[in-house]
Amino acid sequence: MSTTTVAAAPVLHPGQTIRRADRRLGVLMLAPALLYITLLVAVPFLLALFLSLTNSSAGSLQFSFVGLQNFQNVVASPVFRRSLRNTFVFTFVSQLAVMVLGNILARALMRPFFGKTVARFVILMPWAAPISLATLGWLWIFDSTFSVINWLLKVLGWLGPGQWYYWLGDPTLGMVAIITIHVWRMLPFSTVILLAGLTAIPNEVREASAIDGAGTLARIFQVEIPMMRPILTVAVLFGVVFTFTDMSVVYLLTRGGPFNSTHVLASLAFQDGVLGGDVGRGAAVAIFLVPVLVVLAVLMLRSSRRAEVV
Amino acid sequence: MAASSMPRRAAGTVVHRATILFFLAFAVFPFYWMVVTSFKQNADLYVGATNVKHNPFIFNLPPTLDHLRILFGQTLYLTWLRNTLFVGVIVIAITLLLAVPAGYSLARLTGRWGERLSIGIFLTYLVPATLLFIPFSRLVSLLGLQNSLWSLVMIYPTFTVPFCTWLLMGFFKGLPKEIEESAMVDGCSRSGAIWRIVLPLAVPGLLTVVIFTLTLVIQEFVYSLTFISSVERMTVSVGVPVALVRGDVYYWGSLMAACLVTSVPIAIVYNFFLDRFIAGFTVGAIK
Amino acid sequence: MQTRRQFVVRGTKLVAIGAAAAATGPTIFVRDAKADTTLKILQWSHFVPAYDKWFDPWAKEWGAKRGINVTVDHVGFADVVPRATAEVAAQSGHDVHMFLGLASAFEEHVIDLADVVANLEKKYGKQVELAHRSTYNPFTKKQFALSDMWVPDPGNYHKEVWSKIGMENGPSTYDDLVKAAPEIKKVAPQMQIPIGIGLSQDIDSNMAVRNILWCHGGSIQDKDGNVVLNSPETLRALEYTRKLFSVGMTQAVLSWNAASNNQAFNAQETAYILNSISAYRTAQDNKLPVIPNYFFTPALKGPTGIQLASEHVMSGYVVWKFSKSQEAAKEFLVALVDASRDSMLGSKLYNFPSFYGAAAEPNTPANRKQESGAAWIAAQCNKDPFGSTPPDKLGLLAKSLPWSTNLGYPGFANPAEGEIFDTYVLTDMFAKAATGALSPKDAMAEASTRAKQIFDKWRQKKMVPGGGKDK
Repeated sequence: MSTTTVAAAPVLHPGQTIRRADRRLGVLMLAPALLYITLLVAVPFLLALFLSLTNSSAGSLQFSFVGLQNFQNVVASPVFRRSLRNTFVFTFVSQLAVMVLGNILARALMRPFFGKTVARFVILMPWAAPISLATLGWLWIFDSTFSVINWLLKVLGWLGPGQWYYWLGDPTLGMVAIITIHVWRMLPFSTVILLAGLTAIPNEVREASAIDGAGTLARIFQVEIPMMRPILTVAVLFGVVFTFTDMSVVYLLTRGGPFNSTHVLASLAFQDGVLGGDVGRGAAVAIFLVPVLVVLAVLMLRSSRRAEVV
Repeated sequence: MAASSMPRRAAGTVVHRATILFFLAFAVFPFYWMVVTSFKQNADLYVGATNVKHNPFIFNLPPTLDHLRILFGQTLYLTWLRNTLFVGVIVIAITLLLAVPAGYSLARLTGRWGERLSIGIFLTYLVPATLLFIPFSRLVSLLGLQNSLWSLVMIYPTFTVPFCTWLLMGFFKGLPKEIEESAMVDGCSRSGAIWRIVLPLAVPGLLTVVIFTLTLVIQEFVYSLTFISSVERMTVSVGVPVALVRGDVYYWGSLMAACLVTSVPIAIVYNFFLDRFIAGFTVGAIK
Repeated sequence: MQTRRQFVVRGTKLVAIGAAAAATGPTIFVRDAKADTTLKILQWSHFVPAYDKWFDPWAKEWGAKRGINVTVDHVGFADVVPRATAEVAAQSGHDVHMFLGLASAFEEHVIDLADVVANLEKKYGKQVELAHRSTYNPFTKKQFALSDMWVPDPGNYHKEVWSKIGMENGPSTYDDLVKAAPEIKKVAPQMQIPIGIGLSQDIDSNMAVRNILWCHGGSIQDKDGNVVLNSPETLRALEYTRKLFSVGMTQAVLSWNAASNNQAFNAQETAYILNSISAYRTAQDNKLPVIPNYFFTPALKGPTGIQLASEHVMSGYVVWKFSKSQEAAKEFLVALVDASRDSMLGSKLYNFPSFYGAAAEPNTPANRKQESGAAWIAAQCNKDPFGSTPPDKLGLLAKSLPWSTNLGYPGFANPAEGEIFDTYVLTDMFAKAATGALSPKDAMAEASTRAKQIFDKWRQKKMVPGGGKDK
């Protein structure tokens, strides 16, 4: 079907029909993964969607249909609205911090220096530690009775006589603690990706802009970052998904407290659905995660593809 | 320009060093505390932070090996490590077996509808665990896999396969088509070309999948908490809290030791493969 | 998926069989020789590790003698409910599941244990009232769980500090706490939190706020299952807590987990906590400097003299309907109560028997068993076999029954109360009122709305009474 010449190898343009044998092979190669994903993700997802419309409880799949009751109750609940807001705030703030800090760290890692291998190893460790165990460590570090951070601040004289930071007992400080852990955990991974993006920028481009008289900041923002757009998109996308759906840090650190003020959607769904036994309600809460993620993901995928064309 | 850049460069080095040190401190500070706590006596640990005379970062009482003894002697820590590794290796194998052909197929053999499908596949990655955990329980029991590591082996690829397929698709797209095409002109079949030409070139991408999958498997604890109840079949993420957090008594020393012993080898492995991982991830993700 | 009617029919049949069997005397359980060769038990990791070291081999040995292969799996106490949820969804897993006082939500998935309780009461006399009210649903008339032990919740106080302010026996009323807090700050300025009562989303705080609520005359439900949270008594409790928080606590208590009060007391950073003896045993094991000053008081009295504290832990063993070893499970539960003395000693006096008569001297006539058991328990508490100085430090625990009560007071523990417990509705209310995040009236209104929502949901399932007279 496709013609070959001696001189050039055949090139398939988009729009040109793919050879039939290839197409069959393509379906064959895709089938196992597709089957697996459909059976084990799509179907359970639809079932969970269905459960959110029921009053199923305590894990029993016996239920009666209650329509949108769960969603109505959930949306009316101030705890839910707070946790929706928290989910966005945590994700946005921590990812912003990770991008800024990651860029700085990636640049610093580009230059050779003494002990670079060891430094790289140490910087990678937060990503390597299992999150449940690392969060337990942070639990002690932030526990206001024993907090080593507070001790340090007191010794350095930054805390006055009556002052003390109740990290986990104050809604705002609790959010700071959670965001810190997210940043601590994601930084190594994002740094690594950004490092790759930076090293991919040809040196000539950097030198050319320096010769043009561009200052460092201008160079960074107007030349390098646009060039790194696809990479940045990946790093941000991955970080956002990871943080947005994470339940472990919140659950292990504050249990959503004080008084349910640091919950995110994932941890609230766990508390209501699994601990409280109201499966329908838990499913309703968790479902709010999906549309937001879908929108974010589609936006980013599209923007990254557009950047590629340039 | 050279004359004025000398002090500038010196200042730049100081800033550079300071930056590196700052990030090192930020990354390592909890681990340092974990190391010290692993060897501290409990009486040295349970002292309030308002007591400025008591420095929590050093040993005020002689260090002890008790916590390590509890961890290795009285809990099944090594068994849990073995279990985690077992699940990890098999899940990596399954992920590679499913995602590599799928990724290639979407990159080369399916055209437009493949593009759209790939986005759909990626989106399944976004479905959170808290939503799927109830239907999964039913499925696990229907297959008689409750309390078995095989339940995890079956479930874990649900969060590795979608993302890795998408990643590998991009990666394969990034490989120049000409190489395969010329091999096929020379008489090679498509499958032959894949096997002999493309896969060897894809090693960075494959390594990326391996490392990424291993990370997610080790971190995961919601599913393993749900499906595994016997202590000797637990993975590290679940076994450690179950044995060392007993209601209102936390065995901090042993907990922190467990965290360290698990993290260090993993970090070494990552560091070793870091450059190839970067290459694979970025190429795959951009395209 | 069976309908409710089928569940009820099955349940009734089982009760009928059980009742008939109970009527036929000691050899009551019909054993099919072929069935019941395995028994899988799911149990929490006991706060006192020594107990598990006794329990696991004991259970296996019990099984071995009868040709039953017994396996015991442990789970963290916070994971008891999620694990049950998963097993019910899967309709398979263990045979016996131990809950910590809140089995009622799973009532529809467990068998009726009326025959077991009847058997045990015949042998040992009645179980303690709070155990009865935590394991029986008078609305559905189902004995959904069996309790073998409960744990009292005394006050733990720091003798040196309280002596310095002139109360060497610690506080006896809630008002004492408010009066003492500023004094404690003066004599012990290094203590971060004078009064260590949690207001967070954890089990200790859940118990503490209920104690405060009940002692001020309020409660979530009344005897008949109507929601009465919206009341002047509740407001009084909230205002009291607000006062207490401002003079004696810090924000730290808003994020405490179950270990936090233990840790704070053992580090001598607080002068009073509400806790079982687990913190004390930890201090003993680690030879912490707080030990010479570690003492206990009974529950505090409210302004009108009500003296009540919740049990800290109440075991509730259920047998799943999907279990294939139901008979063996029931026999096991009987044997567990038989071993009440070993259980109490194995847990270092943490566990108190739900059937006092099971701790009686052997060969006591059935009608004297409860007395004898109580006497043995008192003997242990007055002469702590695990090294307290003075040896009668734990003596007050022997007299804790009059002031200990169950979750759901003044009614029975039921699924609605359970869900309110598990989703921290009450601790939220108290925390918001105490910190001023909401006015006490608003906090009470918010909690009351949520409580009614939850109760109504369970009323729709016909598992909880009331509804006509919600406040």
